[in-house]
This record gives sequence, structure tokens and C-alpha cells, in this order.
Amino acid sequence: MRMTTRDDIEEMIARIALRDRSAFAALYDATSAKLFGVCLHILKSRSEAEDVLQDVYLRIWQKADGYRVTGHSPMTWLITVARNLAIDRLRKRRPEPAEASAAADLPDTQPGPEALTIARSERSRIDACIGELEHAKGEAVRAAYLDGVTYKDLAQRFDVPLNTMRTWLRRSLLKLKECLTR
Amino acid sequence: MTGRDDTYDDAALVAEYVLHLLEPEERDAFERRLANDRQLQERVWEWEAQFAPLSDQVAPETPPPALRERILSMVEPEIRPKARAPLWSYLLGGVTAAAIVIVALAVILPITDELAPSYRAELAAEDRSLIIVAAGIPETREIVIERIAGAVPSGRVHELWLIAEGASAPVSLGVLENEGQTRIRVADNLMPALRDGTLAISDEPPGGSPTGAPTGTVVATAQFSDI
Repeated sequence: MRMTTRDDIEEMIARIALRDRSAFAALYDATSAKLFGVCLHILKSRSEAEDVLQDVYLRIWQKADGYRVTGHSPMTWLITVARNLAIDRLRKRRPEPAEASAAADLPDTQPGPEALTIARSERSRIDACIGELEHAKGEAVRAAYLDGVTYKDLAQRFDVPLNTMRTWLRRSLLKLKECLTR
Repeated sequence: MTGRDDTYDDAALVAEYVLHLLEPEERDAFERRLANDRQLQERVWEWEAQFAPLSDQVAPETPPPALRERILSMVEPEIRPKARAPLWSYLLGGVTAAAIVIVALAVILPITDELAPSYRAELAAEDRSLIIVAAGIPETREIVIERIAGAVPSGRVHELWLIAEGASAPVSLGVLENEGQTRIRVADNLMPALRDGTLAISDEPPGGSPTGAPTGTVVATAQFSDI
């Protein structure tokens, strides 16, 4: 079988906008492992990640016609939908016991199949710009994106006061912005 | 607050929004702004695109096969509102939050109302340099059509034609927008011929063929098949 390409995924989304169910099944087969990985990484609970994945594909079916307007690459759009819904679920889950060791529980990460990754040049750009930040601050930005944690979680994880964490991260985001638009 | 401060604050604020770092009330306030501010929306998209490559380091994980069935069954056409119980009643089995019902309801409306096409067709050039997909919705006598690959030659348009079974000449169904989807309302007298007729796309001057018959190259043809 031929590898799924970015154009294939783009075409599937366009067909889904026209209510093509076979394209919906094809998109599910091509992307569900990636999107489930994203949900699971944030929620760390299989049953919750399964519920959210269902919402994610419903949202994709529902909003496929709005994808183009974002200007996103297809995987960026899909990942953003998955991440947003997973974090919405995470926020609703509170209150929960503080997990100081959450960072240690993260599953090992590894790059996925190339077709499902974002273009290499974009990847190296964000990596390079995060690399320009102090190590801990870069890690805080990554954790905010990948784990969907709150300022409070970050403050605990990096053992600094909440307001310090806010100031830290806001400054880091401005630096990041400056680097990314350079 | 000066304009400069706004910009300064916003730059971090937009990123905090995208990262989901805002407190619920800050997030709500930001979303209220977002609803009316296209530029702000674009800045959100920009950050989303910039952060997304970070997720390349998340390991994929295959979801269980039963979930695939559950998800695909949600868009099945058999589950139409007039036919049986509403779709959301199916969804309630085993699913927890009220939020899911809301998502489901929002989804059903477009599927089960006019947006449930019965036919589809792919009009593609032989080398697939041009692909146009069309969906036919008999209930509303509409065709929704979109070019998903290729482009219209500069200064030209694509026009959709129907050649009824056994007919000698094509009849124009309409001109496609150069971007995005086009919805075409099919004349009542043409509806019976739509399912089994041949669709064709021709390359025409702006506004469509001046003669009522295709004047440019016919770039693709196809027939509808049932979905």
C-alpha cells in the first residue's frame, strides 16, 4: 500500500466537507493513531482519550468545510482540533490531586511516520526558537503545549511561585514570537 | 492603556490562549473578542501552526477497533431523523457528558437536513492534475461541487454540464466559483436525468459559455453514483 501523503489527507478533508463517508473512514484510518496519541498524552487515561477521540472525529466531520479558512496544513488542523478538545476535557476534570511527578509519567516519545508529521522546516523552526530560550523555560513552553498543563501545574513542576511562572512564560512567549517572525 | 501596550500584551495573550493557559474567565473574554476580530483570529491560527510541529514528538497509539466502529457509525446515513429515533439517543448509550450531546446535536443537523447527499461523482482529468468532486442532494435539488486539485486557467472559468441519458446536447448546470464550494440549484425538469446522466466540466470564458453549448475544452466527465 502506498504511503499516505499530505495531499491525500487534504483531499480526504475536502471530500468529508462534501459528506463523503468513505473519505471519513480513510481519514480515520490514516490519522486516528496520531490523534489518539495526542489525546492520550494530554489525558493519560485511555477511556477519556477514547471519548475525546470520538468528539474529535465528530468535530472534523462537522467542521471540515471550515478547515481551509484557517490556512493550516491538514495535520496542523487535525492536531489542533484533537489537542483543544483533549484539553477542554482535562480542564473539566478538576479538582484533582496535585501530581508533582506528572512529568516523570509521560510515555516515551518518538517521531511518528513521516507523512503524519508537520513539514520538517516548520518543526526545526519552532525547535530552534525554543532552543534560544533558557532550558527550563523552553521545557515549560513544551509542557504547556504537549501536556496541556495550567500555570499552576507548571509552577509546581518547575518549583517556582505561580506569578513568577506567569511572568516567565509570558516573556518566553514574546521572545519566541520575536524569534519566529525574525 | 496605549495602543502599544495593547499590542505588547496581546502578543503573549494570544499565545497563552492557544496554549490554554488562560483562566476560564480570561478565556471567555478572549473568545468574545475573537468572535468579532478577524485579525485576532488570524493571529491565533498563526500560533496554532507554529506550535503544532511540537506534537511530532508524541508517539502515535492505535485506538481500539471498537472505537473505529463507534465513530464511523456516527456518520451513517441510515440514521436519519424521520426514519427512527434521533441520532443523539444512540449516542447517549455509554457516553457520559452532556457536552457530547451538544456536539452530537450540532453535528446531526447538517447531516440529516439538506446536507445528506445521495449521489457523488469525481470529475478528474486523466492525469489527475484536475479533480473536482460533486455531491448531489435530491431533496433540495442541489449539487455541491468543489475543485480539490488543479486550477482554472487564468481568465477562464469551469462550467458544469449535464448530458441526459440518450440526449444529444449538454445542458448547462452552472458556472463554478473559482475558489471554494459552489452550490448549484438544479432546474426541476433536469432532476430526473441527474442520477444517470453524464456530468461534464468545460473550460469557458468568464460568466460561462456565451452560446449555451460548451465552447472550450471538456476537461473531465463522470456520472453520479449512490453514496
